[in-house]
Amino acid sequence: MGVISAIGLSVAENHAALVTGKTGIIKGGGNFPSRYAGLLPFGEVLIGTEELKTRLGVTESGITRTTLLALHAFKEAIGDAQLTDEQLTAGDTALIGATTVGGMCLTDELYANTHGDTENIEYVKSFDYASVNLYLQKRYHITGVVNTMNTACSSSANAIMYGCRLIKNGLANRVIVGGADSLAKFTVNGFNALRILSDEACAPFDQNRKGLNLGEGAAFLVLEKEADVKGKKMYACLSGYGNANDAYHPSSLSPEGDGPYLAMKNALSNAKLNPADIDFINAHGTGTENNDEVESRAMLSLFGTLPNFASTKGFTGHTLGAASAIEAVYSILNIDKQELYPNLNFGQPIADTGLEPVITYKASAIKHVMSNSFGFGGNCTSLIFSKA
Amino acid sequence: MSFYIHKTTCISPQQTFGDNIDIEQLRPSVDNKLYAVEPAYPQFKGNALRRMSKSTRIGSGAALPLLAGAPQPDGIIIGTQVSGMEENSKFLNQIIEYNEDMLTPGSFVQGTPNTISSQIALISNNKNYNITHVHRGLAFENAVIDVAMLVNESPQNTYLLGGVDEISLNNYTLDTLAGWFKKEDCSNNNLYSSATDGSLSGEGAAMFIVSGDKQGALAQLKAITTIHSTDAEVVENRIKTFLQNNLPEGEKIDLLLSGENGDRRSTHFYKNCEALQGSYTTIARFKHLCGEYPTASSFALWLACNFIGGALELPHHMLKKAGTAIGLKNILIYNTHKIGQHSCMLLSVVS
Repeated sequence: MGVISAIGLSVAENHAALVTGKTGIIKGGGNFPSRYAGLLPFGEVLIGTEELKTRLGVTESGITRTTLLALHAFKEAIGDAQLTDEQLTAGDTALIGATTVGGMCLTDELYANTHGDTENIEYVKSFDYASVNLYLQKRYHITGVVNTMNTACSSSANAIMYGCRLIKNGLANRVIVGGADSLAKFTVNGFNALRILSDEACAPFDQNRKGLNLGEGAAFLVLEKEADVKGKKMYACLSGYGNANDAYHPSSLSPEGDGPYLAMKNALSNAKLNPADIDFINAHGTGTENNDEVESRAMLSLFGTLPNFASTKGFTGHTLGAASAIEAVYSILNIDKQELYPNLNFGQPIADTGLEPVITYKASAIKHVMSNSFGFGGNCTSLIFSKA
Repeated sequence: MSFYIHKTTCISPQQTFGDNIDIEQLRPSVDNKLYAVEPAYPQFKGNALRRMSKSTRIGSGAALPLLAGAPQPDGIIIGTQVSGMEENSKFLNQIIEYNEDMLTPGSFVQGTPNTISSQIALISNNKNYNITHVHRGLAFENAVIDVAMLVNESPQNTYLLGGVDEISLNNYTLDTLAGWFKKEDCSNNNLYSSATDGSLSGEGAAMFIVSGDKQGALAQLKAITTIHSTDAEVVENRIKTFLQNNLPEGEKIDLLLSGENGDRRSTHFYKNCEALQGSYTTIARFKHLCGEYPTASSFALWLACNFIGGALELPHHMLKKAGTAIGLKNILIYNTHKIGQHSCMLLSVVS
């Protein structure tokens, strides 16, 4: 596993912050150009883009911050999984990544290029979503299946699901799956125009929540077949996944949460588990009025009595295309360390549903964790990780 | 892994949609672009139509006739590079021009590429598997791989598969700056005699209903492979292996649909692929019909389904070299996008 987020540059740093309840959401980090950079809180990775390039030894032109964050997490993941060069370049190794910003973090540069600037064209080849994984693929000479997915905020859950299915269908023997997104004028203004950015640190599942905070980061995971990982550290097993569409509205969830309900239900049936088998839910829990209420209702319909649940968005902010991958790492840490991390900034349950998330760090016996991700366009995906 | 294609529709720069399909008569490019011929879209009401991005219009416009009167597909799987880019760029422009103030979210929401798959789901109230692949020149191919896996996992299910991309001012300008479209005037009927860099810009939406059931199918997608390389020898060897592994003993490629696009930098990849086939194989080209775009291979798959099912005859303007093949049993689609991304799809008659 590899992760970079507002709460740390590695799995170990992220873990330490989760245990101590230390948030990464601050005002005025200053690494992305926007008038809101100092005005609203964000989950920023506090390393400048140039510094990231230096640290990662990136000298090519046209490499965006999104790609650099991806590379940072990718390197940690393949190092942790001890993948050899031969394995990386083998035809049975796949790379499946997700992003919703990709090269569009370069709003100003692209604007200039589409409005007459024909001189400074460093980034014209990397404006799309695929540019991130194409860079990783070239740098590591990956020859197997390579893909990029964008289903908004559930993108990297779908990347993880697709990667796992490649293995099950015999199209790969090992897959490197994940997602990356950087903070960008583009998404900050998009969510601001939708009036769902909070001016305070987000408070998932709280009655008085005011919206979400955007964040940035990346995470990658290496999935291999159990038979192939003898002698290596096995963190967890991806035991199930479910994908469903809410088919209700382009940017909000249906009141009853059909999409979230079906995604969770499909994941359970794919894993051949019952609701009572789930020990913990890593909720999508963005802190918006719509999501938290609908997700609560959908969880109640499916589970009746809920297991422990929490959202980690209060640590990292909502990292969009990276969120499900980052939270997959956190879900796996729940299992590997047998502990739960707090849902930050929670005060009072939502009146209608009355659900209370985990609010303090605690040790807990964890066998199965469900992780939820719901996106624009009604794209909902749930993953289930189990103790290996 | 393979699947069967049962129905297909296509909105493209040619007359490929509706009752009067005619690919004999080549519609000309305009200012180096091949714009889709859009139908009237009777399914969409005024406001809904006005809010949709072009890619959502052509994508759902091509998909809905396939869904009418049929059981709901068990999944909607779309490949697109940057659908919604025109809407996206409207939003990016607003950000700069209004200095990040007083923005409306419509274009931001409509500009996400998963709008096509989710809009189709919304209109048809489909709550099943729903996904958008955006891996540039292999976005459609990854959608095909996804569907092949779905059919393998649940052979009794039916899926909607599509490839969609649009010409927007933004991506046309950026890709022209990057050298992917011709700088001098070029018309689509002269595309292959051009000796310069770049191609013509195109767009389109091709949709397919697929399943594991061969009963009544138009064609079988027998195999697909993707190649990431700029090395001509590597690509040639991979194509050779693909054919060896997937063509039944004693059979040959009857028709090669080549993605040749008038960009002198990629011609040698296509020549190598042609050279692998010998005098038996008929070679035809399609980019002068649809232009160059990241999911253009979906247009080629629509053509191949129509040729192999006998619905359309190969028009003379597509022919590069007539082979000695008499029947049409196996069609190879070979395409390369921006030189580094290649794909092969093998389409065969239903046996």
